[in-house]
Amino acid sequence: MKNARIAIFFLILLIVSFGLLAARCFYLQYYKNDHYTELCLTQQKSLQLWQPQRGVILDAKGRVLAASNRKKIIFAEPRAIEDVKETSSELAPILDIGAHEICRKILEGGNPGFVRIKQDADVLQCSAAVRIKGIGTQTDWQRSYPTGGLFGNIIGFTSRDNRGLEGIELQYDKELSGSGVENVFYADVRRRPICLKEQNGTLADGVGIIMTLDATIQQIARDELQKQYKDFEAESAMAIVAEPKTGAILAMVSIPDFDPGNLQSSEADSRRNRAITDPFEPGSMIKPIVVAIAVDNGTVRKDEKVFCENGNYSGKGFGRINEYRNHRFGDLSIREVLVKSSNIGMAKIGQKMGQEKLYDGLKLFGFGEKVGIELPGEVEGLLRPTSRWSSYSVTRIPYGYELNVTAMQMLQAYCILANGGRMVRPYLVKAVVDNNGEIAQIKRPVPPVGYIIKREVAEWIVQDCLVGVVNEKNNGGTGWRAKLDKWQVFGKTGTANISRIGQRGYEDNSNIASFVAGAPAEDPAIVVFVSVRRPNGRLGKGDSGGAVASPVAGKIIEKTLTYLEKRF
Amino acid sequence: MYMFVLSQFRFLFAVFCLTAILIFAVYLRDANNRIVYELCRYRADVSQLKQELGAKQLQLESLINPAAISQRLNEFNSDD
Repeated sequence: MKNARIAIFFLILLIVSFGLLAARCFYLQYYKNDHYTELCLTQQKSLQLWQPQRGVILDAKGRVLAASNRKKIIFAEPRAIEDVKETSSELAPILDIGAHEICRKILEGGNPGFVRIKQDADVLQCSAAVRIKGIGTQTDWQRSYPTGGLFGNIIGFTSRDNRGLEGIELQYDKELSGSGVENVFYADVRRRPICLKEQNGTLADGVGIIMTLDATIQQIARDELQKQYKDFEAESAMAIVAEPKTGAILAMVSIPDFDPGNLQSSEADSRRNRAITDPFEPGSMIKPIVVAIAVDNGTVRKDEKVFCENGNYSGKGFGRINEYRNHRFGDLSIREVLVKSSNIGMAKIGQKMGQEKLYDGLKLFGFGEKVGIELPGEVEGLLRPTSRWSSYSVTRIPYGYELNVTAMQMLQAYCILANGGRMVRPYLVKAVVDNNGEIAQIKRPVPPVGYIIKREVAEWIVQDCLVGVVNEKNNGGTGWRAKLDKWQVFGKTGTANISRIGQRGYEDNSNIASFVAGAPAEDPAIVVFVSVRRPNGRLGKGDSGGAVASPVAGKIIEKTLTYLEKRF
Repeated sequence: MYMFVLSQFRFLFAVFCLTAILIFAVYLRDANNRIVYELCRYRADVSQLKQELGAKQLQLESLINPAAISQRLNEFNSDD
């Protein structure tokens, strides 16, 4: 009887136990199904990202300016290393690096999961290194810039994860990046992939970008500018070379510059592309533009004379205006106003033209709005609407004050003059090429229809007035240092004071010396802009646009035209 | 009624054929794996060679670009 009771007790216990187990199973299978399914899949899955190769950036001649290449990296996982000294000693002969150096890297790495030991390791080193516990390898794309600092301010640079951070790398980041693939694998207990479960996305390498820039012309411009920058102990300098007929930028230099492959050693200030980010008061460089507007809209005739008040012009509402270097000019023709760079002559032309015509004309030439060059960070400059002009403005803007322009805007305006008054849009990217090297897209902007000023006015300004600025030293031409024997150069100097920051007035003995030129005058092939900020006038070599910037422009024109001639 | 009875020879022949087919199937599978492996290896080699070529091209570009040539010329002239 007693045995029967014990048997019944254990039977009931068994039934209850199985009942509880069944209930638990039901609970897990029915109520917790989704949770455990997800947990299980997460445990089984292993993710692997395949990064595409970032697109190449080439100059107009096909020289590589930026490209990505796969590099093998040997790394340590400090948390998996039991004896750092022993691991370092084992690794040292494989990598040909001192054991103490490896030991220091591992101990000072900071990241318990990843410490980079060697970049760009070869296959043999990798296969030997992975046999050591706590040492692993991975391949990664590395961006290279073979031309160093030559194109740093234009091409920009990328982050460690290959995202564009500056310049063309940032502007065309989407196209250059391509698209990666996320492979989902079933993994074993050590997270090693067993078989592919699913693939998200399609692997497509980034497309290539062909620039309008030419490394040879860029080097010519950089060399010449750098010499002057050092000789005059200047704060910064920039130069741009462009084809006026198409707007293609052949060179764009901004000094100080930087090597995108060695970012750590550069200062943030040197990474700026000053040609599009730094607006400045243009000074006398604006005069040919204003004269072109005035002659085009009939305010003045080409043969008209302007009385330049013997160097002292004052009146109610516009203060006192003097000539540069206190010249005393009497009657000057419009051409002479430009050749001798008379401020008073220009102020009188501005007064005669009036605010609205002056403003409309400058707007047509593109001042006060972005040029639209394919680079990030471009500024608009400053051309205030006439409602915000003072009584001084109409006399000061014609000789380059009370407005701010960028080097690119000024270059565009001179390209319009050199192109017979026809609109020109500067551009940097010639084409986009796909992964097979075929041209996928031509990027040259469609030239806008119509003329900004009449053709004959533009030709008169370029072939007569601006040729005089360079070729008539005895007649007061300020750009004579840019004169060449082989080609007829046209150009205009500009020497503008630098306004005080946060205060009224201008700094003493500080200026921006600039020169815009082009050649050959009868059919311009190139236009060159050169500007040097704060040249040291105390050196006794001069600090005007004529003394500092025009020789550089002359040399750039001479060497570039020689190079272009030999090219064909 | 006719009854199909295998003779000893026929039975051995059938077993032999079956074994041969099995061995051939295993061989085919092995050959397939080997060829896929070879293909992957060659692909990896081609990729590796392409990368090495790319690296060499970048090295060459860094030596012959106008900036590098100009720098070397300057050094050469200053040595004179």
